[in-house]
Amino acid sequence: MNNINGLIALLLFPSGLFIMAGGLAYQWIDRKLVAQLQNRIGPRWFQPFADVVKLLVKEEVIPEGANPWLFQAMPILALASALTAVLYVPMFGLRAAYSFPGDLIVTVYLMSVLTISIALAGTNTLTRFSLVGATRALTQLFCYEAPFLLALLGPAIAAGSWQIGEIAAYAGKNWWMIITQPVGFFIAMVGLMGKLELPPFDAPEAETEIVAGALTEYSGRGYALFRLAQGVELIVGLTLISLFYLGGISNPLFFIVKTLCLLFILAALQALLTRLRIDQTVGLWWRFIAVLGLLQFLAIAIFATWRWIG
Amino acid sequence: MHTSEHREQFIVPIGPQHPALKEPGHFEFTVDGETVTAASARLGYAHRGIEKACEQRTWVQNLYLFERVCGICSHIHATCYAAAVEKLAGVEAPPRAQAIREVVAELERIHSHLLWLGVAAHEAGFDTLFMYTWRDRETVMDLLEVITGNRVNYSANILGGVKNDITPEQSAEVLKGLDFLEKRIQHYLHVVQNDEFFLQRTRGIGVTTKEMAERLGIVGPTARASGVARDVRVDSPYIAYPQFPVNMMVEESGDLEARTVIRIKELTESCRVIRQILENMPEGEIETKMPRRIKEGEVLMRVEAPRGELWYFVKSNGGEKPERVHVRTPTIPNMASVVALAVGHQLADIPMILAGIDPCFSCQDRAVIVNYAKGGHDHWTWEDLRRYGIEYYRKQRRV
Amino acid sequence: MSTESVLQNGSELLKEFTVEQLTPEEHRLDLVIKPEDLTAAVSRLQQAGWDYLAGITGLDPGVKKGEDEGNSFFEVLYHFCSGRYVLTLRARVSRKEPKIASICGIIPSASFFERELMEMFGITVVDTPNPERLFLPDSWPEGVYPLRKDFAGREVTA
Repeated sequence: MNNINGLIALLLFPSGLFIMAGGLAYQWIDRKLVAQLQNRIGPRWFQPFADVVKLLVKEEVIPEGANPWLFQAMPILALASALTAVLYVPMFGLRAAYSFPGDLIVTVYLMSVLTISIALAGTNTLTRFSLVGATRALTQLFCYEAPFLLALLGPAIAAGSWQIGEIAAYAGKNWWMIITQPVGFFIAMVGLMGKLELPPFDAPEAETEIVAGALTEYSGRGYALFRLAQGVELIVGLTLISLFYLGGISNPLFFIVKTLCLLFILAALQALLTRLRIDQTVGLWWRFIAVLGLLQFLAIAIFATWRWIG
Repeated sequence: MHTSEHREQFIVPIGPQHPALKEPGHFEFTVDGETVTAASARLGYAHRGIEKACEQRTWVQNLYLFERVCGICSHIHATCYAAAVEKLAGVEAPPRAQAIREVVAELERIHSHLLWLGVAAHEAGFDTLFMYTWRDRETVMDLLEVITGNRVNYSANILGGVKNDITPEQSAEVLKGLDFLEKRIQHYLHVVQNDEFFLQRTRGIGVTTKEMAERLGIVGPTARASGVARDVRVDSPYIAYPQFPVNMMVEESGDLEARTVIRIKELTESCRVIRQILENMPEGEIETKMPRRIKEGEVLMRVEAPRGELWYFVKSNGGEKPERVHVRTPTIPNMASVVALAVGHQLADIPMILAGIDPCFSCQDRAVIVNYAKGGHDHWTWEDLRRYGIEYYRKQRRV
Repeated sequence: MSTESVLQNGSELLKEFTVEQLTPEEHRLDLVIKPEDLTAAVSRLQQAGWDYLAGITGLDPGVKKGEDEGNSFFEVLYHFCSGRYVLTLRARVSRKEPKIASICGIIPSASFFERELMEMFGITVVDTPNPERLFLPDSWPEGVYPLRKDFAGREVTA
């Protein structure tokens, strides 16, 4: 019986079909918001769904020189890991399907698998655009990963737990951490943009230089799966940030309101900023954001130690 | 995996079809990591054989042919040709016609520069600016439609004058449109000079020194951004520019920022001069009669297209058709600068550097082929091509 | 500077090379020179600071009826601009053996123009740095030069 529940959790709700649809819906909202900010009309509500359905029925072309097994496995790995991450995060104000002490680390790890599988998929093909894109994606991964983790550890230390559910409960009872740890919130948001390769961190898929970056050779099913995985990751990221920094999520209404607020900020930043060159991205992260993150982390650590002694 | 001792050359091809290029061209950039170490260009993908084709058409037919050298700067091509033929024939178009030509030419410059600004912003990954400039470009295109009836390929010229007059109502509408545009242009000038993220992609990138610009013979806004004071409208005023002069804009730094700023400043100047002409429009006829045969002779007509100096060398042997027309478009000398500049820059800067000169492949490639058949070596004439086109579509319809 | 003095200056500069002097328009000056004097003339203009090379035009006057093909020629026009003034060097090369020296050593940006001249007229530009095609496709047959008068697309009926 337990196994069936687990399967349902993975395939239907909260993970699986439901979250995939949610991810597409959020992608649509993001695109629509950016379009509105840019004085365009933007796509209709079903556009991302239509895209995915169309891509799924298209033939998948496996380019010469690529390892076919790896080529097909990468999108599946990306989507599977993103969906697995959902199981440990309390979605829609409900309890997480699975929860154990330390699930935060597992979730962050699972979220990185997307970037790594995109980069591997890129290096697997022989296209030059893919190779440059994959190199850039990996370079960028090394930039945002550490600060992003630091930004999520801040609330964890404040709550004294590595369990997402407990941190969320702590966040719900105390001051919103966007006020007590504004730097962490900022880094988490920017880190999420980096993870999702949104402008200004879209150098890995800068179409005017390297076409579609690492995914240039992907068409059909593989590409659709990557798109779905990105949608899922968008929701997971937004949920995590709302959980930690916006005072937790106690019911579905709060979930929608808070994540949409964050999405609006993301869209505004995308519309406002110019793409950074990859060297500029690295410089920005290591010279500026990482230092900020460390300082904040140090402050929290001292505060927590002091409280522990006291 | 390769284990050879040699460092493999890693070449990133840009083109013939590539998102960074709005038209076909082919460039190969050899990169070491992200840094470009060598560059080469292959042109000709938009080559249509216009220079040869015009030798087989009458003077009047050619006006429409040359208007189609380029979609964006169609008016200036037609104006240059018309002015050259008028000079050959010893006919002078009436002042009102010349003034209307200048109005359309300057509107076209606004259209072209706004389009360029959008493309440059897109290459830099600043899509919001791209969308806004192209929205405002619609306004200019609408104004052009008000005057000429067309949004692209305005067809304002005829030999010896212009086709349509500008009525006071049309003039009022254009002035109203200019009010809006001037406000937007000021805003864009502010944005490109103050947006930190955009400046990171433009300031100090692709610097062309004055010495280099002079040596390479660069023309137009690209040259003026490097401090070379070269503008045919000022140096050798044509059509109505003697009566309604423009001021030359010059920037010193020669980087992409200067190229952006100079084009936006030229927009302000264009708006000013259009306003001046519309408010002081000369009265009179808009066309004079042209002879069918043009006197024997040669004329070199230079004009300032939005992208820089454009000239037509027209030779007549006294017949109904030109003996030779040579078109030198501004992109050719400017293109040489791209290949020279690319080396040493980051791959990410290349689309910006390429776009920085505002390349126009159709202009540049224009001239000569009459197409060649698949597989075989027999040439296709225009007639064959036309027939092929008709046959092709007939077949398509049948299927 | 007045019209006279700028163009005067140009004509004096190249006096020793000039075969014939023409003034097709009031701000233009055409100097017919021998093809072998070309590089010397161009480098003298360059040293004197004549502004820039605006382009190279090829001309095929065609072979008239009854004329001996050996006497016919192509004309190569080098346009130099300075402000509103245009100085054109005209060099005539024989149709039989069309050859002219490259000026890329003096003006590197002439490369594109010379390549165009080579493929369109079949005039060999000696020592040009890159003799490859610029505009014509790679599959264009050798020895067919579209801008020569003897290459005719069929007449188009109006």
